[in-house]
Amino acid sequence: MKKLLAVLLALTLLAPVMALAEDKAAGPKEFVIFSDKNAKDNHYIPSGWMGDYGDIKMNDQAADAPHAGTTSIQFIYSGKKSQTQGWAGAYWQNPANNWGNKKGGFDLTGMTKLTFWARGAKGGEVIQKVMVGGIKGTYPDSLVVEMGPIELTDTWKQYTVNLVGKDLSYVNGAFGWTTTADLNPNGATFYMDDIKFEADPNLKPESKKQQAMPFYIYADRSSVVNHFIPSGWMGDYGDIKYDGSSKEDAYLGDTCVKVVYSGKATQGARWAGIFWQNPANNWGSVDAGFDLSLATKLTFWARGAVGGERIEEFKVGGIMGEFSDSDSATIGPVLLNKEWTQYTIDLKGKDMSYILGGFAWSTNVDNNPEGATFYLDEIKFE
Amino acid sequence: MSDSKNKITNTAGYRRFLLVACSILLVFILSACRDSGGVYIQKLKNQHYVLMVDGRPYIVKGVCYNPVSIGSNHEYDWWGDPNKPWITDGKLMKKMGVNTVRLYQAHEHPEEVKQVISDLYKLYGIRTLLGDWLGFWEYPCPFYGDKKFQDKVASQVKEMVRLYKDEPGILGWILGNENNYSCLGHVNPWSSPEVDLEPDPQKQKAMRAKIYYSFVNDLSQQIHKIDSKHPVGLGNGELVGLDSANKFCQDVDFVACIIYRGKTFGNLFKSLRMTFDKPLLMAEFGADCYDAYLKKEDQHMQAFFLQSQWNQIYENLASSKIGEGNCIGGTVFEWTDEWWKHTQDDPESWKIQDTQSSWSNGSYYYDIRAEDNKNMNEEWFGIVAQSPQLENGINKRVPRKAYYVIREFWKNPVIKKTKGKKVK
Repeated sequence: MKKLLAVLLALTLLAPVMALAEDKAAGPKEFVIFSDKNAKDNHYIPSGWMGDYGDIKMNDQAADAPHAGTTSIQFIYSGKKSQTQGWAGAYWQNPANNWGNKKGGFDLTGMTKLTFWARGAKGGEVIQKVMVGGIKGTYPDSLVVEMGPIELTDTWKQYTVNLVGKDLSYVNGAFGWTTTADLNPNGATFYMDDIKFEADPNLKPESKKQQAMPFYIYADRSSVVNHFIPSGWMGDYGDIKYDGSSKEDAYLGDTCVKVVYSGKATQGARWAGIFWQNPANNWGSVDAGFDLSLATKLTFWARGAVGGERIEEFKVGGIMGEFSDSDSATIGPVLLNKEWTQYTIDLKGKDMSYILGGFAWSTNVDNNPEGATFYLDEIKFE
Repeated sequence: MSDSKNKITNTAGYRRFLLVACSILLVFILSACRDSGGVYIQKLKNQHYVLMVDGRPYIVKGVCYNPVSIGSNHEYDWWGDPNKPWITDGKLMKKMGVNTVRLYQAHEHPEEVKQVISDLYKLYGIRTLLGDWLGFWEYPCPFYGDKKFQDKVASQVKEMVRLYKDEPGILGWILGNENNYSCLGHVNPWSSPEVDLEPDPQKQKAMRAKIYYSFVNDLSQQIHKIDSKHPVGLGNGELVGLDSANKFCQDVDFVACIIYRGKTFGNLFKSLRMTFDKPLLMAEFGADCYDAYLKKEDQHMQAFFLQSQWNQIYENLASSKIGEGNCIGGTVFEWTDEWWKHTQDDPESWKIQDTQSSWSNGSYYYDIRAEDNKNMNEEWFGIVAQSPQLENGINKRVPRKAYYVIREFWKNPVIKKTKGKKVK
């Protein structure tokens, strides 16, 4: 009987302690960076202006159509390059203006994502990237995660930065954004609201690492920065001769790509082309590729041997298979010049998070009855 | 009792009560008028789009319908077939849960068209999306830059709308199909004097797109003047050219996309939001059921792709919390197989279901290892097979596995992420 009483007593005492412990283990479900002007649960200050800080105007109590509550934060970026940087941005820090020179920040272990709402004044404004962490110095953030570019719409939209598996034990630069004059030649006015960390137990880690830019497909023969393999020969593949180390007047470096298309319709297709793939010969059967979400464009240099060669299409992405490219973009037809000319495939607004087919060209015999010889160089995502 | 009644009727409170009651009645009447006002698309506060029919949300659970009998080709007049194939098909469709058919073009005899639309609606509650090819197959090509050509097509389209707009079974209009590819020169290429003057082929493409989409926009405006009760859709192959449509074709009510991307539509819904923020009808999608690699019919393969595709459509409906909310449903390609498609100029081959593949699409990856990677079998897209045996005077209909899989999905649309394995 005494034993029973002792057990009951122990349970009575332990129950609240265990409940408290459970609560503590569960932790808070969210941690607010900004919800409203002067909100009690705001934890960081948008004090860390960067780059052309003279180009930024901020109104942290914008009352016109906030996403929630009574205010949002309005940023007006002029793009005038006041400090001749060509870019600008802002970090939410704790304490204000802490560039890692003093101890501050918070231990946000348990949070799995950062969410925020944003809209452009007109729509089409481009934020180059948003960052969570990344401030260095004596007391560096324990993580750096970037996402972007983001093309805003004129209505509120929620964006999420996946933080699963990241070390959030010290976060001083909780959230930041940057953009450039190139992305917004006429400047940009945009709004942000309800920025917070959240603990979402069901969120899975991001599968791929976002690749830094520039991300080369071809820089030079055997360059360590080359990615993707020109393995996907299409159509009349017998009509193609490919030389990845041509020294015939390379645009930059020692070598360039030389392609000779005979136009003989060897396989009867009357067209031909090459896809640069990862890994080689991956037409969507292998889960591979790169996360090129940071790319806003693919650029390359090209010239024809005589000028006037017509390439029907230059392309990024578009491989469809069991594993498909997340998006595609094309330009063409392109009439090549005899002199090196740079071409750009615009990727703004494209989902470049999963790219197996980095680059491709295709042409046909109808527009090149005598065939075509052309050169490519400096193919890269930027 | 009478005193108290007088008190009530004479007080300011009573007048307020009367005012409120009248207001509620007025709102109710207006609402009822709108509800009975046909078909329209509503943009919700969260930017999602919902198709409203008779005042209620409507998910297009549809099929593309062109029931060419075995041994016939596209010239077969099924509309005038005394055996009325749509009666047999409609019954089977209703059992499956189909609520919409997509007809690509009205027939030349309006009474027959009205009969089909009316029978499907009155007997089975199936509504019709009626389309027009916009002269896409005119010889030698569709001259969209030519005023006479435009007038001719416009006249034809307006006539269609006038003839059928009052049919209770009409759900909406779809202008064109994959006509946008002609702007790229991929199919039925056309030009105009002003385009010919432009030396840059990229600019030529942009000029043709401007001409084409502006023309469709004009058509849409004209249809709206004649018929305010049904939405107008822009038929479009993939999302190609929709950046131009965004500039020149804002007066269409929805986009009717033709998409063959296999298991997943990828970022289609999001991408449409970015380029041309209109409601999306998946007007043509699907999978064939012939394994070109193993050279045998594979109903599991077709069912797998179709279930995954419908799953994604439902993920992106207005009511879904996980998608873009811009999809209003789909019309799967297609109801029955068409045996004439592979060798179109040989009537003998129309009596045989050809197993040769005519094109390649890596998204349908189970049979991509077929010779020359040609894995798409045009004569095997039906979710209902046709048998040479006759029943009710027409080729007997034999539902495939996809028929039952979609039926069950529609009954209980549990949205789940599809894995890369076939359903068995």
